[in-house]
Amino acid sequence: MDVAIPLDLWEGDSQGVVTTWLFDDGATVADGDVVAEVMIEKVQHEIAAPAGGTLHIDKQVDDVIQKGDIIGTIDGG
Amino acid sequence: MSEETQASGRKLTIAKAMAEAIAQEMRIDPTVFVMGEDIAALGGVFGNTQGLLDEFGSVRIRDTPISETAFMGAATGAAMDGMRPVVELMFVDFMGVCFDAIYNCMAKNTYFSGGTVKVPVVLITATGGGYSDAGQHSQCLYGSFAHLPGMKVVSPSNAYDAKGLMTAAIRDDNPVIYMFHKGLQGMGWLGTEPGAIVPVPKDSYTVPIGKAAVVREGADVTIVGLAKGVHNGLRAADQLADQGVSAEVIDLRSLVPLDRDTVLESVAKTGRLIVVDEDYKSFGVSGEIIATVAEHDLGMLKARPQRVAYPDVPIPYSRPLEQFCLPNADKIVAAFDAMRA
Repeated sequence: MDVAIPLDLWEGDSQGVVTTWLFDDGATVADGDVVAEVMIEKVQHEIAAPAGGTLHIDKQVDDVIQKGDIIGTIDGG
Repeated sequence: MSEETQASGRKLTIAKAMAEAIAQEMRIDPTVFVMGEDIAALGGVFGNTQGLLDEFGSVRIRDTPISETAFMGAATGAAMDGMRPVVELMFVDFMGVCFDAIYNCMAKNTYFSGGTVKVPVVLITATGGGYSDAGQHSQCLYGSFAHLPGMKVVSPSNAYDAKGLMTAAIRDDNPVIYMFHKGLQGMGWLGTEPGAIVPVPKDSYTVPIGKAAVVREGADVTIVGLAKGVHNGLRAADQLADQGVSAEVIDLRSLVPLDRDTVLESVAKTGRLIVVDEDYKSFGVSGEIIATVAEHDLGMLKARPQRVAYPDVPIPYSRPLEQFCLPNADKIVAAFDAMRA
């Protein structure tokens, strides 16, 4: 299942960046765990796991992101 | 540490670790409350009180006006009356506004009362620069607080220590000045330090105030630092290792009480000392550490001690000028080279 930036996370079309991954690539996460933080114009937003399973990180810290981008995936459970 | 925690591999930023420790203490101790500027609805300018207003409400999570003298005095009085306030001075640079309440009241009232009055305040305050916020928003001022008796002073370099030191600070019956470096908070606009974001147990625990940590063992030189200086020291140790030099890195974690024994044991082994301090060079942490060694046994030293500290000038707004002044790994390696020369 994709870990995606929600389309309504912020207003407008500003770009943001990934600031923190709170789990390593390959870690086991639970549904709802806060796995990452992203920043848009000095405001931090938390990104939660949409399901439990094994986390795979696609966007690295400091990578630029936009609404709807997939920053990682979660396999199995 | 529970098995569930160990298995989870969850990491936290220092900002989140501070908030988690405060929340856990607030759940078990009704006398703990938080106040400061923008700490409630905003969750703290540096993110360290996020989520607290939602869980605990506006009586225990209190936004204050921009009136530091009033709310530092209120925190001191509340603590003397049995509460355990966590009070935020948003930037340490503004200590000058309210310092009488801090060093003449908060720090001394236990002594003045013959020990009958306790003042269990935790004063949290942001330190450090590196992001062009100029001379009134970028200072560390570690030495200014550590110099004056009556306050414990701590500054974590990573989220594990941040949570444990916060829990210990709230439970301590003395005023604790808890200085968090903005560049380690995990807030993107202040820069990201990956080494500060580490696995943190979900259960409550303490890190003892007054105990340093040897974060990297080595044989040839001791690099002593705190907060961001630890990460610069570790990067320098990596560079030195490429030259075949084995560096030991000490994270002071607390300035008061100062764990002099850990420094002395390390220098007794390595014979060489570099102190990294992002506070001003003169009359501060770096001089105190070197004096500790010199007073103990000059014979331990194989070379003159070195310090990599902030020069004694106001912090420039200009990015090139500020970066020129800040300690970094290259300067630490250069200090080692100067020692060998």
